[in-house]
Amino acid sequence: MTEKECNCNPLVPQVCRVIGITQETPDVKTFRVQTPDGQKPFSPMPGQLSMLSLLGVGEGMFSITAQEEDWIEFAIKKTGMLTDALHEMPEGETVGVRGPYGNHFPVDGAKGKNMLFIGGGIGLAPVRSFIRYAFEHRADYGKIDILYGSRSYGDLVFKADLFENWPKQPDTRLHITVDRGSPGWEGNVGVVPPYLEECAFSPENCMAVLCGPPIMINMCLKSLAKMGFSDEQIVTTLEMRMQCGIGKCGRCNIGSKYVCLDGPVFTRAELNELPEEH
Amino acid sequence: MKLRRENITKALEALTAYGKVLVPTDEDGVGKYVPYHDGVELDLERVNTTLPPKDALFPQTQKMYRYKTGENAEIEEIIDADEQILFGIRPCDMQSIVALDAAFLTKTYVDSFYARKREKLVTIAIACAASNPTCFCDSMGVEPGAAPAADVLLVPTAEGWNVVCQSEKSKTLMESVAGILENGEDSPLPAADPWLKVNMEGVPSTLAGMFDHPMWDEICRPCLGCGTCTFLCPTCYCFEMAPENRGSEGIENRHWDSCMFSEYSRMAGGHNPRPTGKERVRNRYMHKLTFFAQRYGMGLCVGCGRCIQKCPVGMDITKIIELTGQEGAV
Repeated sequence: MTEKECNCNPLVPQVCRVIGITQETPDVKTFRVQTPDGQKPFSPMPGQLSMLSLLGVGEGMFSITAQEEDWIEFAIKKTGMLTDALHEMPEGETVGVRGPYGNHFPVDGAKGKNMLFIGGGIGLAPVRSFIRYAFEHRADYGKIDILYGSRSYGDLVFKADLFENWPKQPDTRLHITVDRGSPGWEGNVGVVPPYLEECAFSPENCMAVLCGPPIMINMCLKSLAKMGFSDEQIVTTLEMRMQCGIGKCGRCNIGSKYVCLDGPVFTRAELNELPEEH
Repeated sequence: MKLRRENITKALEALTAYGKVLVPTDEDGVGKYVPYHDGVELDLERVNTTLPPKDALFPQTQKMYRYKTGENAEIEEIIDADEQILFGIRPCDMQSIVALDAAFLTKTYVDSFYARKREKLVTIAIACAASNPTCFCDSMGVEPGAAPAADVLLVPTAEGWNVVCQSEKSKTLMESVAGILENGEDSPLPAADPWLKVNMEGVPSTLAGMFDHPMWDEICRPCLGCGTCTFLCPTCYCFEMAPENRGSEGIENRHWDSCMFSEYSRMAGGHNPRPTGKERVRNRYMHKLTFFAQRYGMGLCVGCGRCIQKCPVGMDITKIIELTGQEGAV
């Protein structure tokens, strides 16, 4: 490996502004961020991460769920001190942004393949960056299946994408499930792994991209194996506590790998080589 | 060249023209490096200092950037890179700088805060003619009589030290002490031969296969999770970053952190991949002996013995090496 060329200090954030906030669910908001002069802070690859800070409060590592010409977007669940503060901030607030960090989804390795995207809860956020990329480069990929589940209808994130934008895309099918049904919900009721098996996706020339809570990932890995997906065909992301983003501060190691640098994206075959400590 | 013992103060004073000279001293029984000043009492008898010299390159608290919040928000990096001379560093600690260099300066990103200080640092090492009961550097591949990565090596003699220049950096430094050094060399005192020995042969790779070994349940039991080992370890470099906020402005600092603390790897939401002492102790020893070697091609234990000497419950890394060796021999 060679030393990465960077004309800035990778540990020092740049000032950005929050130009849009969307309440996705009762505890998830998306934050659209750009530099004060209207640019996007950087152009991440799908699956990459960024440190987002509320100056004076703290910093956290988040996946970048979407980007356009002049902004990047984070989908953040309210779970702790920093995310509580982020959820309370108004539009126009100043934040610090640094990155992008980590590897990315194998967008080139997946070319010519059918895609099976699987998300659970807020886990759709990183997967969405790849889904959007696939739609932007639609001819490069075969048929696209998106399976997404959450606790309830109210907890489904990105509803505009799920029910309007994505179903309109060519050769694309959405499979949405909720753990608990509610009046008016006509889709599937049940957790993701059994629904995945019920949908019986073919592993032939297919790549599965999976992200969600650890228990869902573990069960889906078993289901996918049962369905005939090989370890090389399954791609997932790992989450560890991260701080520096550049493989120095130490806390996100799994064995000799650092999730912030060597991850967050791993194939199941790569996961098998790592100690069970994540 | 050689330096007579009685000329050491003169030499150190001359070096202060070049930059801040850090020298080993004893403060209330704690051996540490302090900036040279008039009347400082050098402690060159102590084999290695209680506190490691890593603070010179990787301060316990380092100011990273200033920020302002609100309408006129701004972020301004803090550049802190004065010339420093580390005088009297021992071979084990010199090897720890080699390891820190690998961690901070290689594998994709360069850590600018470390790099700036490293570039301005000159190291003057003293070879060891004596060792502590807890020293085992030679078992970890460090020669007590040498410090190849140091800019200057002082080899003890009966009258003082022979002075060996080992780098380009040392040449300018030597000019400032030219009138104080004398020509020629005296016969060096024999290098120390540490009493504590371990056999590291095959240990990194054997230990790699022992992640699920039952020995970890035993080893972790006495550990209090106090973090003394990581604090005193010359190669422990984990850090956390946190703001020191004053109203609408503040400073982002980075502090030493410790993998022995439960908070270290605990995520928002409560999940902790290393929830108990067992996982944390295992991760620390495996990082020292295996993981770092897998990533950087060198060990992260230099055999200085500080963690053995100061652990309140007697945890001993040489015991882990021994147990691993026995496993490898089976």
